[in-house]
This record gives sequence, structure tokens and C-alpha cells, in this order.
Amino acid sequence: MSETQTLWWASESFWKKMAVWITAGSAVVLIFLTFDTVNQITAGGKRVPPYSVINNRIDYVFDEKRNYQVPVIGPEEPLFGKVLNEAEAMALVSRGKLTTQAKNCMNCHTLLGNGAYYAPDLTKSWLDPMWGSKETREETMVAFLMDPTDKLHNTIGRRMPNLGITEEEARATVAFLKWMSAIDTNGFPGNFPTIDQSDPAPAPESVSAPTETPAL
Amino acid sequence: MAALGTLDSANLNGGQKLAVKFFTVAIALFGAQVLFGMLAGIQYLNPDFLFGVLDFSVNRMLHINAMVVWLLFGFIGAVYWLLEDESGTPVAGLGLGNLMFWVFTLAVVVVVLVYLLVQVGPGELKSIWLINEGREYIEAPRWADIGIVVCVLIFFYNVAATFMKGRFTGIGGVLVLDLVALAGLYLAGMWYTPNISMDQHWWWWVIHLWVEATWEVLVGCLLAYGLVKTMGVRRRIVETWLYIEVALLFGSGILGLGHHYFWIGTPEYWLAIGGFFSALEPIPLVAMVVHAVFDAGHHKLKSSNNPALAWMIAQAFGNFFGAGVWGFMHTLPQINLYTHGTQWTASHGHLAFFGAYATIVIAFVYLAVQKWRGNVWMSGDMAGGWKWKWAIFLLHAGMIGMTMALLVTGYEQSQVERAIGGSSWIAYFEAQAHVWFVQGMNWRMVSGWMFATGFVLLAWDLMTIGKRETRPARSVEVPAAAMA
Amino acid sequence: MIEPVELANFFTVFFSAASVILFGAGYALLFAWSRVSGRPRLMPLAYATYLGLAVSVLVLGNAANLFNNGYWTFIVGLMLVGYLVAPHAVWHLCVGTHAEGDEAIKVSQQR
Repeated sequence: MSETQTLWWASESFWKKMAVWITAGSAVVLIFLTFDTVNQITAGGKRVPPYSVINNRIDYVFDEKRNYQVPVIGPEEPLFGKVLNEAEAMALVSRGKLTTQAKNCMNCHTLLGNGAYYAPDLTKSWLDPMWGSKETREETMVAFLMDPTDKLHNTIGRRMPNLGITEEEARATVAFLKWMSAIDTNGFPGNFPTIDQSDPAPAPESVSAPTETPAL
Repeated sequence: MAALGTLDSANLNGGQKLAVKFFTVAIALFGAQVLFGMLAGIQYLNPDFLFGVLDFSVNRMLHINAMVVWLLFGFIGAVYWLLEDESGTPVAGLGLGNLMFWVFTLAVVVVVLVYLLVQVGPGELKSIWLINEGREYIEAPRWADIGIVVCVLIFFYNVAATFMKGRFTGIGGVLVLDLVALAGLYLAGMWYTPNISMDQHWWWWVIHLWVEATWEVLVGCLLAYGLVKTMGVRRRIVETWLYIEVALLFGSGILGLGHHYFWIGTPEYWLAIGGFFSALEPIPLVAMVVHAVFDAGHHKLKSSNNPALAWMIAQAFGNFFGAGVWGFMHTLPQINLYTHGTQWTASHGHLAFFGAYATIVIAFVYLAVQKWRGNVWMSGDMAGGWKWKWAIFLLHAGMIGMTMALLVTGYEQSQVERAIGGSSWIAYFEAQAHVWFVQGMNWRMVSGWMFATGFVLLAWDLMTIGKRETRPARSVEVPAAAMA
Repeated sequence: MIEPVELANFFTVFFSAASVILFGAGYALLFAWSRVSGRPRLMPLAYATYLGLAVSVLVLGNAANLFNNGYWTFIVGLMLVGYLVAPHAVWHLCVGTHAEGDEAIKVSQQR
């Protein structure tokens, strides 16, 4: 054993240096990417909309070039009929976000796909056909959040408990959900069927269009 | 010296006396994790069970929080366990460490009571400070966050100062640097933003970089110490391999963060980065297999503590299947689009956390009990030796059963809800009502009962193993008489 | 960037991905065992397992639409090469790190 000198690539000191350099190198790349990512996901950045997006219609449509659904900001459609400036919108969305945290939504629902799996994903819940029509959606959502226990949920008996959400909190939560639906999530969730948001048609022949929304 | 077979703290050094306190709380919290997991599992089958009293959200929060905290307590305990032995000197600032233990434990009790009794608060910042942050895994309110950081800093001080005072081994060096990262990363999850994309971006820094990088390295340090102590492998080799492991784990783990950045609003290039590291993920795994076979060929497996050895072997398999097979099945973005946020994740999470982390903490607790009873015999033909064997069997059978059942439900969910129905409300419930899902949840519950039985047996065994045993532990240096 | 998996291919993706890991472990196991115990006759079996691994990777790549894009095709190539050489590299590392004072290994190496 005396004559065998440890090979440099198998020596302790080599791997000690490798461990340090690989860790440091990965960390540097991560930090570099983090600067760019944080820049892109700041509200009003490339991928996350400004809070005032809640003043507009939001849709989720297939984009041929990117090969998945992307959020599309439509004409003005203010939430609860009131146009807000960026600061007011941010305050409202923030209140909604705080409500989702204080009420522990994430331990039944998923948001952006993260959370628990006991209740539906909320990423695009603003656009869910379950809310019926575009006209009544906002008020239906508020009423549901304030006292969900006796509302229709599903056929399997799972219900959302009454979490003591006030009307103000419920409205803010709806604002948060509307804003979240405008985040570019690389097409998650895929194949999402959206609520019909087209403007009321002048002629009566378009009535049949929305009825074939998903019943599988 | 106390008689063999009786629990006596005189058998332990200062750090070890503190370690067994951490282990005791860890096992109690493991029990809490099982309990609240069972309650949540029952609610899947019977949604009215405890509805409005202990809702699913509360049970699920306690289930995952108990897990994070018990593993953390286990790791901290394991480090205190080896600290004096590894550094060759008594723990520096042990009094502070003891105080930290009581403060930490008290804080955990208060947080749990608030979770149980207050549950939710108004949508204001004060709820985040006092009740719960509502962010999966790190729900602990802000005051507790600050407390956790202070506790981890005290822990860090104990470890770093002890190694400085005594001998700074390779294991010690890796451990100290890893703890810096462990404490530092927690800060990334401690601030509020209305922007959910930003929130989840930093939230993953804590969750992923803790669980898939710093915890892994911590376990690497514990196993390295275990190899030196229990199998007599030479330190230079073990430490070289610890560095190789750090290079592999941090090299793949740090940017492996990418696979959590597919769908939360983060840029498209993360699909490429996440996919790249996912595809390479099996390479370290294959490396470990080769190394394990190599080692097994050159060190005869003889052990002074059979239960601990069995749990360490379980760790290798659990890590392989939980992180490896289950992780790789749904990690490429092309398929993850449909499995993200379904029971797939639950299936993977159950097996991976149990396999990679619970097993190693349990192994250390067995080592601790042995020494605590005066280093008693824990090899073949122990009195009541059926208990640890049945515990390990029931815990594994239960865990595999749960994982398989959740796999079936996740498979169904990814198709019916995600791919066909596009994750709408109606599609979600259609998938939840599907016969595969309901059957899967039933089998998960059966397996859960099996797991819970295994836990009870494990706790009983840890309290009684080696009791009234009169033989001293087998010495691993000198090969004892041949044993199967 | 990515082309999501077709519904019909879900099972193929899960199954082939699991096979990748299992064949990978099998290959590594046979490879190392053949070397450790000095049984060269096991080596063809190890490479046969690698063949299974390679087929799994190709099936996975096909089912996950990886071949429709240069970057993902490159990843598939990397997987094929990486999994093949990893056991060799780690074996050398094992021998190298244990070299000092462990004659038993050198003996079985020289055979």
C-alpha cells in the first residue's frame, strides 16, 4: 500500500475543492437567474400583470405560437363596476391575498397548483364555468365565500366550511382571484374550459354556444 | 456506571443528554403527524367527519407541520448526539442549548394550540403574525418564525463553537456550512407580498432548498458519522465520499429548484432547466447503487445494533424509490403539466419524506436508546425482538400501501381532471367521484391504519427495547461469532 | 418549448420513466456486482440491462414528444450517455478512493 499514491481525481482535497466550486457555481447561476426571474414576475412585469388588470376582462385562450393557453387582457370590465387606480387595486388584491393566507385556503385548495388536494385548483377559478354567467359571477363568488356551507358544491358531499369571511374580505378575495387568473403560467392548467365572457349578442342566434361547456 | 439495561442519563455525554430530549419530542410529534393524517384521510371518505370542528385544512396543516418539526427535532438531536464524539470536546454553551430546547418545544406547543383552537383569523397582517401564515409547510406564524431562526442560530453556535474548540473534522466542516445555509434559507420565506408568483418563488427557496439540498447534506453527514462509528470504515474514505456527495447533491439540487418553477408564473426557461436536472437526477442514484455494492463487497455487514442498521438500509431503498422512481415518473414538464397539484404529488411526497428522512431519524433514535441503556446488546435474538421487526414491517407495508393507493388516484386524477377536464371545478369533482379515486382513498385509509399500528409498536419498542438486557453490545471492531 | 403528453400516452410515460430508474439501478447493480465478485460473465447481463434502459429512454422520449425539439432531443442523448458511463466513472472513483491500504480491491481489479 505504501507505493500507491492516491490519484489526484480520487483524493480528498480534490473533492473538497470540487464540492466548494460546484456549490458556489450553482449558487452564482441561481442568483443570476433569480435577478431575471424576479424582474419578470414583479407585478406589471413581463409575466405577472399589474394589479389594475382587475379593471379589464381577462381571458385564457390558446396561443398557436406558444402551443398552450395564455391569459389575454380584454376590454375594460371593472370588478364590481368600479375602476381602480394601480394603488387602490394593489390594496384590494393584497387584502384578498391576506385573506387567503389567514383563512388557510392553501391547505384544501391549490393555488398555481401548490397546496392541498382536497378542493379544486384556484389558479383560474375566476374563469371557471361553474360561476354561471359573466353578469352574476362576482356576486355569486362573494356570496359563496361568505357562507359556503349550504351552497351546492358537488355530488360527493365535500363542502367548504364557513370561515367567517366578511363581505369586504370576500370582495377582496375575488379581486385577488381575478388578478391571479391573469398570471402567465406557461399553460397551466392545460385544456381549461373558460366561462363564456363574450358580450351579449345583439341577435338571439348565439344562445346555443355556451351550453356545451364541459360535462363529461 | 448504571446497570446494563436501565435507562440512565449517566450513560450519556452532555450533548447526548440534550439529544435524547429532542428525540423524545420528535417521536411524540411523529405520533401527532400520524394522528392528524388519519383524521384528514377519514375526511376524504366521510366529508362530514369533524366538519366545522377540525376541518380538513386544520388537520392537513398539522399533519405536514408536525412532520417538518419532528424531522427537524430529529436532525438537531442527531447532531447533538454525535457532536462531542466527533469534535472530541464537550459541547460549548450546552446550557444555552438546553434553554433553546425548552423554548422551541414550548413554542411548538403554543403554535399547535393556536392552530387547533383559533384556526383562522381576519384577512389582516396581524393574523399572519399571530395565527398562521397560510403558506403550505411554513404555516407557523411570524413570531414563531423569528423564534425558529433564533433557535437555529443557538444550535449553530453550539455546533460551530464546539468544533472550533475541539477538532474540526471534515464532517464537522460540512455540517457547519450546511447549518449556515439552513438558517439563512429560512429567511427567504419570512416576508409578505401580495404577489402570489413572487410569494411562491421565494417559498420554494425554503421548501426545495431545505428539503432537497440542505437536509440531504445533513443526512449525508449523519450517515458518514454512522459509517465511521458502526462499520469501522476509515475516515478519510468516508470524508472524501461526503465531499463527492455534497458536489452531486448541491450540483443537482440547487438548480433542480427549476422543476418547481414550471407553472407559477416564472419564465419559460425554467422548463428547460428543470427538465435538464430532472433528466440527470438518476445519475447520482446510479452512482449510489454502485458505491453501495462496492462497499458491501468489502465490509462484511456486522452490526452492533440491528434495528438501527435495518432502518439505515430502509433509508437507502426508501430514498431510491421515493425520490428516484416516484420523482422521475412525473417530473418532466411534458407530463408534469397534468400531474402537478394532484394526488401524484401526495404519493411521491409520502414515500420520499418517509424513505429519505423519517428512516434515518428513527435509526438514530435506536442508536440513542442503546447507549442510554448502558450500551446493551441489540444484535440477534433480543428479548421482545419481534417488536422492532413488526414495527418496521407495518410502517413500510402501510407506507407502500398508501403510496400505491395515492398513485392510482393520482393517475386517474391527472387524466380525468387535468387532461380531459382542464382542472375546472366540475372536472375536479368528477375525478374525485371516480371509482378509482374512491377505491384508492379506501385503500389509503386501510394502509393508514396499518401505518398507525406500526407507529404504536415503534413507540412501544423504543421505550422497552434493551430493558433488562444483561449482555453488553457486540463490538464491531472484533468480528464476533458468526451470525446470520 | 414543450409539447404536452397526449392522453393516450400517459401510461407509457409513467411506465417507461419508472423503467428508466429500475433498469438504471439493475444495470448499476449487475455492473458493480460483476466487478466486485470478479465474475466477468455477469457483464453481458449488465449491458443487456442497459439495453433495456436505453429502450425505456427512447420510449419515454417518444411518448413525451421529446424528439420534436432539438433541446429535448439533446437531453435524451445526454441521458443515454450519462446512464451508460456513470457506473464506470463511479467504479473508478470507488477504486481510487479506497486505493490506499485496501489490497483486496486491487487484487480483484487485476484479475
